[in-house]
Amino acid sequence: MKATTRPTRAARWLLAGALLLGAAACGSDEKKSDTTTAGTTAGTTAGTAASGDTAATGEAGAGIVLAVNPWTGSAVNANVAKVVLESKLDTEVTLLDIDENATWPGLDAGDIDAVLEVWPSGHAADVATYIDEKKSVVNLGLLGPDAKIGWYIPTSVLADNPELATWEGFKDPDTAALFATAESGDLGQFLMGDPSYVSYDEQIIANLELPLKFVVAGSEAALITAIQQAETDGTPLLMQFWQPHWLQSKVALTEVKLPDVTDACLASAAAADGGFACDYPIDNLFKAASAKLETKNPAAFALLSKLQLTTEQQNEIAAMIDGDGMPAAEAAKAWVEANPDVVNAWLS
Amino acid sequence: MAIATAPLPTSTKRHAVSPWPDRLRRMAVPALVMTAIIAVGSAIGPDIPTWLDAHVKPKVDEIYRWTVLHGDTNWLFTNVFTPIGDAIKWATDHMLSLLQVLRWPGVLALTGLIGYRTGGTRAALTGVIVLAGCGILGFWDNTMETLALMLVSVMVSLLIGIPLGIWAGLSDRAEKSMRGVLDTAQVMPLYVYLLPLVVAFGIGEPAAVIATVIFAVPPAVRITSLGIRAVAGTSTEVGTSFGCTSPQLLLKVRLPLARRSILLGVNQVIMMAFGIVVYAAIIGTAGLGRDVLNGLQKVNVGNAFAPGLAIVFAAIAIDRITTGERSRSAASDEPQSRLQSLIERPATCAILIVGSVMVVALAAKLLGADEFPTSWTVDIAAPVNDAAKWVNDNFRSGVPIIGGTASFSDFIVINLLTPARDLLQGAAWYVVVAIVTAIGWASGGWRLGALCGACFVGIASLRVWDLAMDTLSQVLVAVTLSLLIAIPLGIWAARSATVERILRPLLDVAQVMPAFVYLVPVIFLFNVGRVPGVIASVIYAIPPGIRLTALGLQQVPYPPREAALSFGATPGQELVKVQLPLATRSIMLAVNQTIILVLSVVVVAALIGAGGLGLETVYGLTKKEIGRGVAGGLAIVLLAVVLDRITQSWGTGADRRINRRAWAQRRSRRTIENATP
Repeated sequence: MKATTRPTRAARWLLAGALLLGAAACGSDEKKSDTTTAGTTAGTTAGTAASGDTAATGEAGAGIVLAVNPWTGSAVNANVAKVVLESKLDTEVTLLDIDENATWPGLDAGDIDAVLEVWPSGHAADVATYIDEKKSVVNLGLLGPDAKIGWYIPTSVLADNPELATWEGFKDPDTAALFATAESGDLGQFLMGDPSYVSYDEQIIANLELPLKFVVAGSEAALITAIQQAETDGTPLLMQFWQPHWLQSKVALTEVKLPDVTDACLASAAAADGGFACDYPIDNLFKAASAKLETKNPAAFALLSKLQLTTEQQNEIAAMIDGDGMPAAEAAKAWVEANPDVVNAWLS
Repeated sequence: MAIATAPLPTSTKRHAVSPWPDRLRRMAVPALVMTAIIAVGSAIGPDIPTWLDAHVKPKVDEIYRWTVLHGDTNWLFTNVFTPIGDAIKWATDHMLSLLQVLRWPGVLALTGLIGYRTGGTRAALTGVIVLAGCGILGFWDNTMETLALMLVSVMVSLLIGIPLGIWAGLSDRAEKSMRGVLDTAQVMPLYVYLLPLVVAFGIGEPAAVIATVIFAVPPAVRITSLGIRAVAGTSTEVGTSFGCTSPQLLLKVRLPLARRSILLGVNQVIMMAFGIVVYAAIIGTAGLGRDVLNGLQKVNVGNAFAPGLAIVFAAIAIDRITTGERSRSAASDEPQSRLQSLIERPATCAILIVGSVMVVALAAKLLGADEFPTSWTVDIAAPVNDAAKWVNDNFRSGVPIIGGTASFSDFIVINLLTPARDLLQGAAWYVVVAIVTAIGWASGGWRLGALCGACFVGIASLRVWDLAMDTLSQVLVAVTLSLLIAIPLGIWAARSATVERILRPLLDVAQVMPAFVYLVPVIFLFNVGRVPGVIASVIYAIPPGIRLTALGLQQVPYPPREAALSFGATPGQELVKVQLPLATRSIMLAVNQTIILVLSVVVVAALIGAGGLGLETVYGLTKKEIGRGVAGGLAIVLLAVVLDRITQSWGTGADRRINRRAWAQRRSRRTIENATP
């Protein structure tokens, strides 16, 4: 049985071989040219660093790489910049999805040319190392929107306990116990998301003597899940959250009023003496670029320095992406076409 | 016959009498050592002394800081790291453009032909269908990005791993010196070294490939070495007696005979490499990992699951076509036609494959089949989200009797996790060191005891004691839960072919599916805190537990089982008294693998609220506190070494006990035989 099937299998191979010999001969030249063009497009579109390095220096229009960090605001800025750079300055832009912390070694090496939304609260060490000391990264000025970290509760909690709108409402152990979970025991639970984000919550709880226990959810995704879960179940939840964030438009959250920011409080934060007992200061989002960008593509450098968006503008584009499900590139294109005045101000 | 059975009563009698003094002696020495350590410890005091501090955190931070500031002008960077990074970048770019030039029909044709060559029609069909599945899910382009990265990573890993494995297989000294490095590489969480790799080799593919190599080389080395060592002495003796030189012996005897092992090594490298895809996206590689992260970021289960499934498909496709085993021996026995032997020759075969793939690619180009047809794609994100919502609505609460996952979660926290943590953290550090030393000593002699004690003192010197105890308590709970699920399922699978058939694909998927994918559903079901982490570890760790238990039971030889049944044992008795004891070694290996896997997802568990050492290593990446990450990572390695060696000794201990009994019987039989002429 086997002996009879074997020749047919061999014949099939032979047929395939004969076919290819004919075709390969006439197709090989075309194939070669095809490889080279695909190679170069892959180098510029999918590739990251190589395109930036190999591009001629100083020439206006040298391709650049912009970092996109994993949140909508960052995608908004980078896509708007890409549309403007490509249409007005003829500069090819590659967007690179990357973690915000890995962005800095990339800027340092020149593999990434710029990042357009940095939250200063989380990157004090990077600013000190790369911008101030090594000077391999430069500050490109403020982006525009101000961000604010704070304590939040689902708005529905206020219906029965209006006193929880301010921190003083949490002083009563019985009220605070509304927020108790298995992890926090008898105390109320205070939930923190990503442990790498700036947090004075433990100090605030201790210094204001609140009957709360600080619990870490581990990641932003875990925090958001806990918030959504609290909303579905109608259970109270106290957590650290911030503006702007896409979830703010989907779930009704209220910021709990903490004591006003004072100079003494900020001094305590700077000295890291554990005495922080007030609200979070406002975060002024800023832009940063590789020090190599100014010589590599001065026009792009100038444009990115001037690029600014207001909170409203950023939210408008973010709503198109998160709300309407539009791809970020299309949303940015539509917004740039609808707002020529804003864009022209960056180019002047 | 009468003579042969006669000694048995005496030998069992001997065993019935002897264990007590024997066991007492085995327990007494460790107990004494334990008391001695506690005595010394209480003299030192309840706080870990400062002279024990290894200052790992500040030292590592200083090195990292220096590297960041001065690395780019250092010769090591300009002459070694940067060229390596550039070479990797070049390789991945070209691999990707090759895949893009082939277009989807060409890639599928290549998959099918390689599969046909290595594993026949079955492997070819599986490879093609599964890989096409990635396109049907709507991720063809990103699958190619991931595939390019993976192919380069796997090739580099094999180029390093197999030679090292051969060396380790031939030399005991090499094997011993490599063991510690391999252990560390395998258990050290990726988060610890991801950022340093970015600094050294550059963002994106270079750092990702190096990270994959670090993670995937250990199994390649281990399995290759094992294969080389398993080659029977008689085969090498035959080689030597025919005058083989040692390179000939290696190439013509050892390697061909170790082929199956090496293929298993290739399979493991592929699985490990695909396990890293999501981490690679963190540092800026495109592809499926990025899609998973985006889904996770928006807490969208379906959007994370679909690319996760594509990763599983790609891994399975590559695995099936590279490790397909065609029954070669049968083929070579038959007379071959000249044409056929020509085709069987590797060079001809390669030309044929390359040629036909080029034809297909050219045809695809002419027909304009550039993109995977969108009309074929199926969106599974929405149904997955619906299913997740349904599970959430129905299982979170309101389930009769047990209440639901939410109350189960609270139960675990209050009754297991918190008491275990309080117990371990509440005990003075030297008491824990003493107990661990004693357990090690009792399980595997003074060497193991000393090793275990030293590892725990090491954890103390890293200044992460409380966190380590927190993690240890969670690991113990997770391992217990995993085994409670895995061993019964394994037994069931061993006894029912249907169960095994149903479980096998599920286990395949569970093992390759990135843990990131089930983070969100797990938090949804189990309140945020330590339980989701434990559950995620359990999901990740049970597949090998089930597999090894089933394998162990199936490998129990039939004669003893038949003997038990013929003596009137019920199937239950036969299982408990015959099969399980004889499968002890395999079940202990299952315990061992479960522990190692639970420890390897400690970091992922930390992302959903487990805290402990895992969180320390996350800080290494997200707060750039590399020293903190390294200290946490080293502590995880030390914990893993202790738990691994102790459970391994239980496995070999079980073997030894069985062997000892068998040997004692054989000896007594021989004395009788000698006595009766």
